[in-house]
Formats: sequence, C-alpha cells, structure tokens
Amino acid sequence: MAETSLVGSERTQQETTVAAPPTRRSILWSKMLTPYFFIAPFLLTFLAFTIGPDIYALVLSFYRYRGYGSATFVGWENYHAVLTYHVFWTELSNTLFYWLAHTLPLIVIAFGLAVLVRSKVLRGRSWFKPIIFVPNVIAVVAASLVFQNLFGTQYGVINTLFHLHIAWLEDPNVTRWVVVLLLIWRNLGFWFVVFLAGLTSINPDLEEAATVDGANAWQRLRYITIPLMRNIVFFAFIIDAITSMSLYTEPNVLTAGGSQAIPPVAPVLNLLIVNINNGVFGQSAAVGWLVFLVTVIVAAAVFGIFRLTGEVE
Amino acid sequence: MMATMPIKRNDRSQAQRRVQIFLMYVLLAVVVLFSLYPPLMMLINSFKSNSEININPGGAPQHVTGANYQQIGAENSGVLIAGVIALFVGTLLTLVLTKYMFPRRNAIIAGLVSLIVLGVIPLTVASGGLLRNFLNTVIVATITTIFAVLFAALAGFAFAKYRFWGRNALFTLLLATIMVPTAITLPPQYLIFSQLNWIDTYQVQIIPFLTPVFGLFLIRQYMLTIPDSLIEAARIDGANDWLIFWRIIVPVASPVLAVFGIIQFLNMWNSYIWPQVMANDPSVAPLMLVLPNLRDPVIGFLPVWGTIMAGCVLATLPILILFLTNQDKFMSGLTVGATKE
Repeated sequence: MAETSLVGSERTQQETTVAAPPTRRSILWSKMLTPYFFIAPFLLTFLAFTIGPDIYALVLSFYRYRGYGSATFVGWENYHAVLTYHVFWTELSNTLFYWLAHTLPLIVIAFGLAVLVRSKVLRGRSWFKPIIFVPNVIAVVAASLVFQNLFGTQYGVINTLFHLHIAWLEDPNVTRWVVVLLLIWRNLGFWFVVFLAGLTSINPDLEEAATVDGANAWQRLRYITIPLMRNIVFFAFIIDAITSMSLYTEPNVLTAGGSQAIPPVAPVLNLLIVNINNGVFGQSAAVGWLVFLVTVIVAAAVFGIFRLTGEVE
Repeated sequence: MMATMPIKRNDRSQAQRRVQIFLMYVLLAVVVLFSLYPPLMMLINSFKSNSEININPGGAPQHVTGANYQQIGAENSGVLIAGVIALFVGTLLTLVLTKYMFPRRNAIIAGLVSLIVLGVIPLTVASGGLLRNFLNTVIVATITTIFAVLFAALAGFAFAKYRFWGRNALFTLLLATIMVPTAITLPPQYLIFSQLNWIDTYQVQIIPFLTPVFGLFLIRQYMLTIPDSLIEAARIDGANDWLIFWRIIVPVASPVLAVFGIIQFLNMWNSYIWPQVMANDPSVAPLMLVLPNLRDPVIGFLPVWGTIMAGCVLATLPILILFLTNQDKFMSGLTVGATKE
C-alpha cells in the first residue's frame, strides 16, 4: 500500500473505493466455499467408493453380468434365483440363529457382570474391567483359530483334557453352538465396559435415597438401575443386531480355516462371496441387497420390541 | 453418609451376606478364567512344536521351543528384527500422531515418511513368510487410520461449525447409509477394481475404508461442544479457517480423534472379508488372511498348530500392547458411542 501510494495517491484512493465491493464479494464467496473444501476429501471419497458402488450394486442386481462381455437386463430374475435357492435360506437362518442365540445371553451376562463389578462390596474391582475386556482385543481371526484348536475332535484341547470324543466342529448342530460361544466370549468384555460406563453415569444419590427408603438390592436394580439403563441396553441390542447380520469371519475361520464354511453352518454373506468367486455378479449384488433388507427388518423388530415395553429415545 | 448406614443386621443375615459375597467372587473368577483361558492356551501352544501339540494340546509344553517364532521370521533373522521394530513404530506412530503430535502441522507428513522408511525398507528386505503379511497389515491399518482421522476431522469440523447450503440434508443422508452393510459393495467394487487393475494392491485395501460415517458422526458430535467463542477469538486475531482448524479445533478435539483412530485401527487390523476377495496375493495379503491357511508342507492338509498359534500371538501382540498401555483411553474410546447416545 505504501509503495503504490507513492506512485499516485489520487489513483490509489480511487482504486480502493472502487475495489472495495468486489473484495467483499470475493471474501463472501470464499467464505461460502470454505465448508465445502473441508468436507470435500471425505465426501468425494465417500461418493466414489461407497455411494457409487452401492448404487452400482443395486443396478447390477438387475443384470446378468459375468465380469466380461455385455450385461443383460434380467429384471427380478437374480432376486428370484437367490430367493428360490435353498442354500440362501439355510445360510440366512444360520445368520439369524447366530444373532438370536448369542445376543440375549451376551447382553444379559454383560449387564449382570457390570452391576456385580460396580457393587461396592467387592474388592479389586479395577482389575476385573481390563481382564474381562481382553478377549475383545484379541484379533478376530486369532480368536477363531484358538477356538478351532480348543474344540478339535481328535487333537483338541477340550476333548483331550476331559477325555471326550465330541465332534465339536464336525457336527453342524454342535458347531453352531461353538460359534455362539465364540461370539459371546469375544463381545462380552465390550458390552460389559459399555454398561459399566453407563452405570457410572447414574447419579449415586438416587440409589442412596432408595436405600434410605428401604429398597433392597433387587428393588434398586429393578426400579432404578434398569429403567435408567434402558437406552444403553437398547443401543446394545440394535448395534449387536446390525453387526450380526454382517457376520462372516468367526463362523468361517472357526469351522473351515481359510476356506469357505459348509452351508449348514455358513452365514448368509458366504453366498455373496461364493457368487463373486463363481463370477455371477448380479446374483452376488442381489444377495447383498437382500442382506441389507434383512438388516433393516431386524433393526426395526428390535426397535418395535423396545417400543412395546416403553418409550425409547 | 451416616444416614445411609443400615440398621445393625443380625448374625444370620451377616452370614448370608458373606455367602453372597463369596458366590460373587466365584462367579467373577469363572468369568475371568473364561476370558483368559483361550489367549493363555494360545501363548502356551505357540511354544510347543507342531508335533507336540497333537499329543499334548492342553498341558504345559514338555519341550519349550522357539521354532514356531523362527518359522514366522522366514529364513532371515534380520527380517525378524526389522519386523519387530516396524511393529512397535507402526503402532506407536498411530498412537502418538493421534494423541500428542496432531497439533503440529507437519505431524502427518513426518509420520508417513518415517512409516515408509521403517516399514517399506524391511518389507523389501523380507523374503516372504508371515512377517511380510504382518507388515502388510501394519502398513494398511496405519495409513488408513491416519487419513480416515484427517478426512473425518475436516468434514466433522465443517458439519459442526459452518452453516452452508445442504448441510443437514447431506448429514442425514450420510447417517442413513450406516445400516448398509459394507459387504454390499464387494461385487461392484470387485468389477471396478479389476478394471483399474487394483486387485492385489495396497490401495484396494486402503481407499474404500477412508470414510467411515460412524467416525464422522462421533467427531462432529464432539466438535459441536467446542464453544464458538474460541473460533471467533482466533478469527479476530487474524487466523484463517485453515489455521483455526489446525491450531484450535484439532488440539481441542484430540481426545475424540484418538478414540476414532483406535476404533479405525482395530477395524482395519481385523479386516478379513474384504482382503479375501480383493487382496489374496501373499505379497500384499494381510496376516489375517494367511494365518488360517498354514498347512504342513509335507502332509498338506494338516494345520501346523504351533506356527499358527505363534502367528496368532503376533497378530494379537500389537493390539494388546496398545491396550495395556492405554487402558482407559481404549475402553472409554470404544464405548464412547454408546454412552454419548
């Protein structure tokens, strides 16, 4: 500014008065664009690698396409093929079984443990929290492989220790329960810690007041703790249901190592993978969207059950 | 406090109470045993030879051997040492970046350079083996975590602190996609990445995972609580938006950034279905993919349990170290979404 004013003060003065409105406007423009710059990296990546493929998957599910050559529009044929394929129903019921069999014991035990560890009569409470959480930090594949080793028929730890000959991982009816056990084992610590955090946020005055009024431990639990924890328990059931529908690693690695589990114990996502491997991409995409549909229904069902028994925020 | 003390109990209820407490301890002991037994067996069995495990799967090792760990390090013991260094650097780097260094502007560049120097060099030296796959996991998880945190922090800032056209609609749309399973994109992505020649590369394992909506949500919720006056004060002092982000927002939001970093790193560490389809080649495949397929080189179908268990220890160790040194951040971090609801 100082330099230009030396050249001609009259002219610079004129310039500043004239230039002022555009400058303000350009500031306004950059101000308007700033947030878009900040969201651009996330949004563009998300559009290109999540939303785009999601839509592509939807389109793909109406086409017959083998990965090369031309794609032909087949309408609902892929969905029809998947829905009339008995393996789809077997594997879908497996996924639903894994979810239903583990979610209730998991959340009830985790809740009970949290209440237990929080009760003031016990010593060494700070030790239980990290120890019970440890299974959650074991890599999923590692945990599945360790369970495979534990439950082997001929060389397994459990059978050898107790001199049993149970075909844990060969008989599908038994194997399903080993998968459930693995799911409970791995997730127990997680929800335990979540519930513990929730219990800590409850005002201790409430329990004290109830104690003064003569409520026993069970009554305090029933009429104070559980109602106040309702939303967190609801959250636990919803998240567990949604993630259960995408179950894949545990049943596969536990029962089949690196290869695909057999249909009697495989989760529904196996069909999606098998279809990719077979090059029937349209049907694979159809399975994906059906799994999404099931996820929405299951989440809505959990929500509905909670709604029946009271308000949910 | 005195008022809450119960009226003196009689002996019978005292005894009853003692039994109750005893039963509580028994119950907790069972849970602790249930939780720790599998990882303990993993560790014990990793020190048995492959043949001993078949005879003696459940007991203490009769001949303690480190052969399984040598097996992991391929033929080259130098690779093993390099791998161990990369292990610590890779995991600590992520932690340090998200926890302490984020306020500094060049932290990410410095982190990436050191990761390339310390991670890629041993990788090129590596002749193969499980260690190579371990390094693949470290590289993919670390790079993904750094960029995912950065992207989500930038976007979270905009969604929390700016008013702009389409903000709420966009955010709702993003949240709505949370229920769509990631696996749904596998068939189209496979076709797309085949076209791009990206199958069996690192980027195919990294780029699709840079934008978890959950992380964006978490960070945005946290940034909503940062007072506007802080930003206004910086603006009056002449700071531009970019500077405000790095000097004010990132330091203040560093706890939630660290939390999301941990979640993202764990998810990437555990990823299995995606690399199974996209990155099968042993040169880029993560450890998790190779571990279940280890078989006896002579007999073929027989799993080599000793080596597998040593590999499992390797797969678990970095996360376990991370957990044991940062217990509180870890546990509050993983559960923050639940209690914030």
